[in-house]
Amino acid sequence: MPTSFAIMAEFDTPAAILRAAEKVRQNGYRQWDVFTPFPVHGMDSAMGIKNSKVGWFSFIGGCTGYATGMIMIWFMNAYDYRIVIGGKPMFSPFSAFPPSYELTILFGSFGALLGMLFLNRLPRLHHPLLKNRRFALATHDRFFVVIESSDPKYSENETRRLLESIGSKHIELVEE
Amino acid sequence: MSSNPNSVSESRLELSKWRNLPVILMVIGAIGAGLGLAFGGVKQFGYSWLLAFMFSLSLCLGGWFLVTVHHLFDASWSVPTRRLCEHLACLLAPAMLILFLPIALTAKIIYPWMTLAHPEHELTSKYPLFTMAGFYVTAAVLFAIWWLYSNRLRYWSLRQDETGSVECVRRMRFFSASGVVLFALTLTMAAILFMKGLMSDWYSTMYGVTYFAASIWVTLPTVYVITLILQRTTVLRDLVRENTYYMIGSLFLAFTVFWAYVNFSQYFIIWNANMPEETFWYVLREKGTWDAVGKYVIIFGHFFIPFLMLLRIDFKLKLVTMLPLVAWAWFMHFVDLEFQIMPALHKNTILTPGLLVDAACVLFFVGVLMKVFIISLSRHPLYPLKDPRMSEALGIYVPPHDDLSDAPEGAK
Repeated sequence: MPTSFAIMAEFDTPAAILRAAEKVRQNGYRQWDVFTPFPVHGMDSAMGIKNSKVGWFSFIGGCTGYATGMIMIWFMNAYDYRIVIGGKPMFSPFSAFPPSYELTILFGSFGALLGMLFLNRLPRLHHPLLKNRRFALATHDRFFVVIESSDPKYSENETRRLLESIGSKHIELVEE
Repeated sequence: MSSNPNSVSESRLELSKWRNLPVILMVIGAIGAGLGLAFGGVKQFGYSWLLAFMFSLSLCLGGWFLVTVHHLFDASWSVPTRRLCEHLACLLAPAMLILFLPIALTAKIIYPWMTLAHPEHELTSKYPLFTMAGFYVTAAVLFAIWWLYSNRLRYWSLRQDETGSVECVRRMRFFSASGVVLFALTLTMAAILFMKGLMSDWYSTMYGVTYFAASIWVTLPTVYVITLILQRTTVLRDLVRENTYYMIGSLFLAFTVFWAYVNFSQYFIIWNANMPEETFWYVLREKGTWDAVGKYVIIFGHFFIPFLMLLRIDFKLKLVTMLPLVAWAWFMHFVDLEFQIMPALHKNTILTPGLLVDAACVLFFVGVLMKVFIISLSRHPLYPLKDPRMSEALGIYVPPHDDLSDAPEGAK
């Protein structure tokens, strides 16, 4: 018999899914997510999601980029291969600033992209939800709450009862 | 959905003790400016007055700009702050016009180019702008445009309060679409004529933009704090949402970066070209204490501190971080203008008794403008009563009239 990955509950409206998310959060679940066809305003606070940590990755990426630019230009112009150009100093932070600034942006965006992939544990080739036929409606007109079986509070009957009490019309187990 | 952290404290602000603040500022400022005139001479007084004028002009032009972009972008978050920005813009005339008179009278003493016996090519190539007639005619035109546009924008806004007619929206959009061009031209002209004119042989095509960036940069925190005070004391209490503060904070961050960008660009281009007719302006500002002001106080104080603070979303919404930052922004704008204006008078140091006269003049200006602003506020509704985007600003869904019965369940 296949083990279940999660329990999935279907809702019809954004308001219903917002209420459901609030209830699931209040009941102390941790390993769960909500899937909607479009962004639902207020979902972050309903689910209790904190501000993303991606910003820190871009910040560190940006600082690295700036330092890389400055050190690279200093190394090339003032250390490794010194050439006097127009009587200017060998190294000046002013002339080195524009390339360093560009590298700040480049590495900052690398940090944002890679940080996002890392935090989302991507790329991954498959997810149990993707073989569930009903779940495809999440890209059409249905709203889903999915509570994973790895959640410490997960219990097939209890969780199902909770989702029923919130008002889901269709609840099913998602196979691993 | 989430509660507004700015209104966490339910206590209303009690401002009756502060009722006399504008008059107190005016008296202190007038005494300081008077002493400056008596002991520092007309030249010091003229420069100090010019600095205070440019400081206040930043806020007034900033108010006009915010009203204009509100209409151009058809934004909803700025609806609750629109009226106070309109009042801010209307300070341009007649209040700022009257306050300009001492500059008009002392212009010959402030601006060296006015009294040159034998003007050289650097100056004559800028004719007819840098002539006596050119100066006064341009100033008159600037104030005429400012008066017309700030006044018309507020006039149609107040009409909208009464009629709610779409005509008013169209008129305000007309004055915004044409006004934004005139805003750019008049602001640039004012910066060149009043501030850059202190060293009329200097060239910089970035100069108007740097003053623009600095002006909006200082206006945003000012609008932030005025909105906060009005929310704590008046009917705006239920009208301003967290989103409005967040948006002002985000723009504040954007203009922090923009200010640094244009100022660095100006410096970098001049540094790179290395031509004496341009570099002298900065060479002068690398002498004595001006060097430290430019290199450390302004770079770190005007850019890094606000930039790093405003990067965080939550810092934009907390009083404990924003109120010190607002005060800091005013102080930094003052230092920035010192750096722009005063090296022409005090060649080697910012630390002269003249600094006190500058501060006194700023206090006087702030007192006068605060008084006029409060009178304007008390005469008119505090927010645009019939703005079509009011409900959107409040986050309320108002269904169209014909389908009130079956409004979607989730839309609220």
